[in-house]
Amino acid sequence: MKEIDNPIEAPVDQSRTNPLARVFDELVRFCRSRSMFMLHYCTGCGAIELPPAMTSRFDMERLGIQPMVTPRQADILLITGYVSIKTLKRVILTYEQMGSPKYVIGICSCTVNGGMYWQSYATAKQLDQYLPVDLYIAGCMPRPEAVLEGMRKLMDRIRSGEADGWKDYYRRYDWYLGNQQHLFGDDWQTPADVIGEASHYDLAEPGTEGEHTRLLQQCQKPLEPQQTFFQIGGSLEKKGESHE
Amino acid sequence: MSIQTLLMELVLMPLVAFVVGLFMVLMLRRIGAKLQRRVGPPMMQPLYDIVKLYGKKTQISHGWMHDIGIVMAVGGYVAAETLLPVPGMDGIADKGGLVTLVYVMMIPSLGLALGVGQCANPNGSIGIARALTAMLAYDVPFVIVVFGVAWYFGTTNLVDIIAIQQAGGVAGWGAIAMPLLAIAGLFALQGMLGKQPFEIYIAPAEIATGPMVEMSGKYLGGLFVMQCFQLYTAGVLYVSLFLGGGENWLFFLIKVFAVVAIPMTVAFLFPRYKTEQMIRLMWKWPVMIGLLGLAFVMH
Ligand code: SF4
Repeated sequence: MKEIDNPIEAPVDQSRTNPLARVFDELVRFCRSRSMFMLHYCTGCGAIELPPAMTSRFDMERLGIQPMVTPRQADILLITGYVSIKTLKRVILTYEQMGSPKYVIGICSCTVNGGMYWQSYATAKQLDQYLPVDLYIAGCMPRPEAVLEGMRKLMDRIRSGEADGWKDYYRRYDWYLGNQQHLFGDDWQTPADVIGEASHYDLAEPGTEGEHTRLLQQCQKPLEPQQTFFQIGGSLEKKGESHE
Repeated sequence: MSIQTLLMELVLMPLVAFVVGLFMVLMLRRIGAKLQRRVGPPMMQPLYDIVKLYGKKTQISHGWMHDIGIVMAVGGYVAAETLLPVPGMDGIADKGGLVTLVYVMMIPSLGLALGVGQCANPNGSIGIARALTAMLAYDVPFVIVVFGVAWYFGTTNLVDIIAIQQAGGVAGWGAIAMPLLAIAGLFALQGMLGKQPFEIYIAPAEIATGPMVEMSGKYLGGLFVMQCFQLYTAGVLYVSLFLGGGENWLFFLIKVFAVVAIPMTVAFLFPRYKTEQMIRLMWKWPVMIGLLGLAFVMH
């Protein structure tokens, strides 16, 4: 549905001067597919299928997948189950801090269509309205075999260059932001400057900015660096005075 | 030695160190996998990781100190490699000597401290504070060991130390002559590589990988490269001091890999100590064993 509503044009092929550029791209894509650091944001019950997928029985490491602990280091964000609205805020913050190219995997039926939490007032039903999901692994909950199968699928898609959900987030940021504002209210903002990043990566398209980003700019409060005070020895005297 | 050979060795030695280091990282992960009854990563996994990290589109720098910190971390080890003799290549080892090498091996930690400091992430600051504390802990036995070996062979020149050991055959090895110092050296090695139970500054579950917490893309890639060098440097230094260096590449590599396998195997059997426990342990047992060994050596 998503694709039909907003057709995504193929990116303009920039002319590459280096004759080895293609070989190089191929190599990097291959390495990307064979080395994935994952940040498993254990949102729901599906998270329980990840430990067996990682440990001795199924051993994800033989596919080059290993857990990492901060979003900066991670390549794939695993959303393992229903996301409550409160959690979704954190998920989006986390996603925006990850370094591109980044991939989102929605595990569990709850991320696909709300699953058995369909009637809940507190969960986000469809994850791909708020984040560009590269791959869904359906099931309530999917077995580790299914998780690994999904990972292999993602590897294939990365190698062939199809898994570019992160570009979609920049290209259609207005739409994603609109859905986020619908849930969190008009004053929703994150520390990341997504529009600036989009123009940095040359991915700014008509869908990047729109009415929702304008609303964001109106309601945005400037982020200020946190003030820290150090107090040594009980008194905050100035150095010059105490010497006198 | 002509200037061309010297230049070629200066380039080749870090390169060899990097390739051997990649295999050491692979061995580390394979040993972990075997102990947990897993298959483990494929052969080229360390290389895939590094290429991927350098190929990331987003490269977040936190300022020029951050950049320089990583350069210092990798560069310190690159300099250390040229001071470590390998079979057929001495580099500038006979000009530098053991004392310079010990100094140079501290540069990466300091560079990392500068770089991580600018990231302004509390986890990173805690991590680097712990890393420097750990350095304080393992450097005491390490210096005792280095001093003992230099005293025994009567020189601080690594090339001479290796030549003396090789002249005496296996019986001339430092480990046979100074077993107590060799044991203390193993303790220091464990701390130097930051492996459990002394893995206090990476601690993923506690301080989110400490110094690496704000590193992404090529910065993390730089740290992965640094890890290769670190494993290699520690292994080769131990082999040069205690196991007679390398007669040829085959024996050399076997020895180095065997030495590095010890801390890695021990690592996966232990949990993590607290910082003060590590200092207490490091300043007690290895120092005591080392001083005892020193007393034997000096008599
Ligand atoms: S799909 Fe089932 S297992 Fe997964 S989060 Fe929803 S209820 Fe839990």
